[in-house]
Amino acid sequence: MDALKQFFMTAPVDPTVFAQSLWLIIALPLLGAFVCGVFGKMLGRANVHLIACAAVAGSFFLSVLAFWSVSHVQGGVPVSTENPFSAGVIRYAISADYGTWFSAGTFRVNYGLMVDHLSGILLLVITGVGFLIHLYSTSYMEHDEAYWRYFAYLNLFVAAMLTLVLADSLVLLFVGWEGVGMASYLLIGFWYSDTAKAWAGRKAFVTNRIGDFAFLIGSFLVVLLVGAFNAQATSGNFAQLGGNTEAAQVRFREGLQQRGPLSFRGLEVMANALPATADAAQGGVSLQSTIAEGPLAGRTFGGVLTVALLLFLLGAAGKSAQFPLYVWLPDAMAGPTPVSALIHAATMVTAGVYLFSRMSFLLVMSPTAMVTIAIIGTFTSLVAALIAFAQDDIKKVLAYSTVSQLGIMFMGVGMGIFWAAVLHLVTHAFFKACLFLGAGSVMHGNADETDIKKLGGVRREMPWTWATFLIATLAITGIVPLSGFFSKDAIFHGVHHNHLHGYEWASNALYYVGLLIAACTAFYMSRLYLLTFEGKRSAEAKVAHAHESSWYMTLPLVVLAVLSVVALVYALPLMPGRNGPQPVMENFLGPVFASAERIAARGKLVELDHSVPTLGNYLVAWLVVVASGAFAAFMYMKFFPSRAGQPAPAFARSARRFAQNKFYVDEAYEFLVIRPVKNVSAILYKLVDTVLIDTVAVRGTAWVTARVGSALRYVQTGDAQAYAAVMALALLGGAVYALIQVLQ
Amino acid sequence: MVPISYYLILAAALFCIGMFGVLIRRNALVVFMCVELMLNAANLTFLAFAKQNGDFTGHVSAFFVIAVAAAEASIGLAIVIAVFRSRGTVNIDEMRTMKH
Repeated sequence: MDALKQFFMTAPVDPTVFAQSLWLIIALPLLGAFVCGVFGKMLGRANVHLIACAAVAGSFFLSVLAFWSVSHVQGGVPVSTENPFSAGVIRYAISADYGTWFSAGTFRVNYGLMVDHLSGILLLVITGVGFLIHLYSTSYMEHDEAYWRYFAYLNLFVAAMLTLVLADSLVLLFVGWEGVGMASYLLIGFWYSDTAKAWAGRKAFVTNRIGDFAFLIGSFLVVLLVGAFNAQATSGNFAQLGGNTEAAQVRFREGLQQRGPLSFRGLEVMANALPATADAAQGGVSLQSTIAEGPLAGRTFGGVLTVALLLFLLGAAGKSAQFPLYVWLPDAMAGPTPVSALIHAATMVTAGVYLFSRMSFLLVMSPTAMVTIAIIGTFTSLVAALIAFAQDDIKKVLAYSTVSQLGIMFMGVGMGIFWAAVLHLVTHAFFKACLFLGAGSVMHGNADETDIKKLGGVRREMPWTWATFLIATLAITGIVPLSGFFSKDAIFHGVHHNHLHGYEWASNALYYVGLLIAACTAFYMSRLYLLTFEGKRSAEAKVAHAHESSWYMTLPLVVLAVLSVVALVYALPLMPGRNGPQPVMENFLGPVFASAERIAARGKLVELDHSVPTLGNYLVAWLVVVASGAFAAFMYMKFFPSRAGQPAPAFARSARRFAQNKFYVDEAYEFLVIRPVKNVSAILYKLVDTVLIDTVAVRGTAWVTARVGSALRYVQTGDAQAYAAVMALALLGGAVYALIQVLQ
Repeated sequence: MVPISYYLILAAALFCIGMFGVLIRRNALVVFMCVELMLNAANLTFLAFAKQNGDFTGHVSAFFVIAVAAAEASIGLAIVIAVFRSRGTVNIDEMRTMKH
């Protein structure tokens, strides 16, 4: 046992040596994208498949090495990397700095990559699930002509997502952020010859862009905040960090000079050095002090931080499909199904959760921002679950399910239970990817039929797909002993027991709404499963008998289903913690969230609980879910078929139509936002562009020049004597002028 | 002694007459004669000032002008003859290829 532990804690390659090669993890898929995109058509289908899958497999291999490296413990001392902003080291992390990208005055951005336990987990998820989906795509896209473009975009996406996760500063993260947005646009609109699909891609990109704008403004506010802190902090602030306070402040300033204000490590040091109230500050600045000069003069540090975090929330809402920017995700189902699995289930949409986990130390300084995140997450989750009740398209149900589960993750992040949100992110990646790939398999075997009302009885015809889909459905609804139960319950437990100063009501309220959401999830997922796989084949089915897909498609399904089950280990309280047994994930992510815990404990703005759910809590959650699932089974297997032919009551019909039309949110946006913008843009086009610029400025200038030219042309008579006369007159004028000068 | 202003006024008058001739007469040969008139007026001015200053610079300049005038007249007359051969006229009003 000890030998096994020793094996897992000794990396095969020296971590500091490996750290220099971190850039390869991003470079491999990028190179794959380039080769597939430029030479793909020449190389042929098999070669493109090989290159794309090999690139991601290589990245996966390196990610395993990276993950292993950050768990490396030598002689009782864990691997660590130096912190440019403080005298201490960052434990369980490796990093590499590749020089400056650009700098302007005191602002600087470096190419820096960092792996710690959080990025390590995400690296494995992205490259592992990414590889499985590449494998799946080789079979799913076998009849598509533009296979080379598809694999190029897919590799590009993986490269961008890896940049996002490996970045050690907000700016490089934003590069990855934008990159995944672009790859998502390219892949959603992959079949762009169909206008509706191309517009779905455009909608995704524009909605994301709104979020990106908010992200940028938030970053700018953070830059100003760091500048103000640097100017106003005294060495008393740095007493919190231990050691010589003067030296600590000098080191912080040095770090700012070398790495710029947006490096995560610098932000962490600043967060540690900025207490909540003035009396804890020992003469330095606190969250309540006002900023002295600059564009933010007069505002408090806490206020600016809250606004910046709310802007980041809007950015994350755009990327992770939360209210009000979730509308692109259901439309994104226009893209190929493996794309939906990779981007819109497992990886890109988790970027928002990752961002907040990275900035956990800033979040716990602002209970207002936290409660807003939690409320937005809960609200979105509930609305999406209710919409999913009435959707008939298998992919749309899964899309709304993704929005709902992301809402749960946001709920977790908002209430401070970060490790559970990350665990749910991981388990969700597994079972949601399994569900989407299973849906793709069902579509592949049923001539691309997506309407679940026209399926049914697929269980007997596609056994592998059935078994994996069933396991994944049980996981998402939260049936013990699958991982989804534990991760979701960990979040709800944390929501119930963490408290935010000033918003204590949120803990109870959000917990009960959370239970309601769990019930809804169980209901619509059971409905989806039952209508697709159980029962009799629908009379309107396109294909009478479906055939099972090839091993390229079923192997990833099996692997993901197995992972959905075994990931539960991460939630079990097996590790020794401070107050008794601690869940494995909480212990594993301890070093990442240590700052946040410390700041929360000190500042008393956020009270983070560390209790483990009791058997009673588990029982309640499980009963809620089982009851809901049983209710769905009753409704769809017994109740509705028994009432076939009898019309439903008018109220039920109109409620269903309301939910099926997505609560008319898209129509509201069209009316409130899109139409006014289009009108303004039409005015600008017709008036400013066509009239003022084209006609008056451009053509007008040419017209004036032409007319003046034709007028002046009459001077050229060709008569030499006339020219001589002009010369004589000029000479006369000159002579007169000279005469006058002389006489004066 | 004749005051110098008499010579200068005569030269100016000759110059103006020559200039008017250049600008107004239609026959190319007459225009050339008027150009010669202008040159001689300039010569007169040179000599008047040379006499007043007791300097030979004016005389030298006058010689230069005479030489240049001779050369210019010969070239100009050659051009007029060439033009007459191609167009059949020396009337300046009828040479309008530069007109728009």
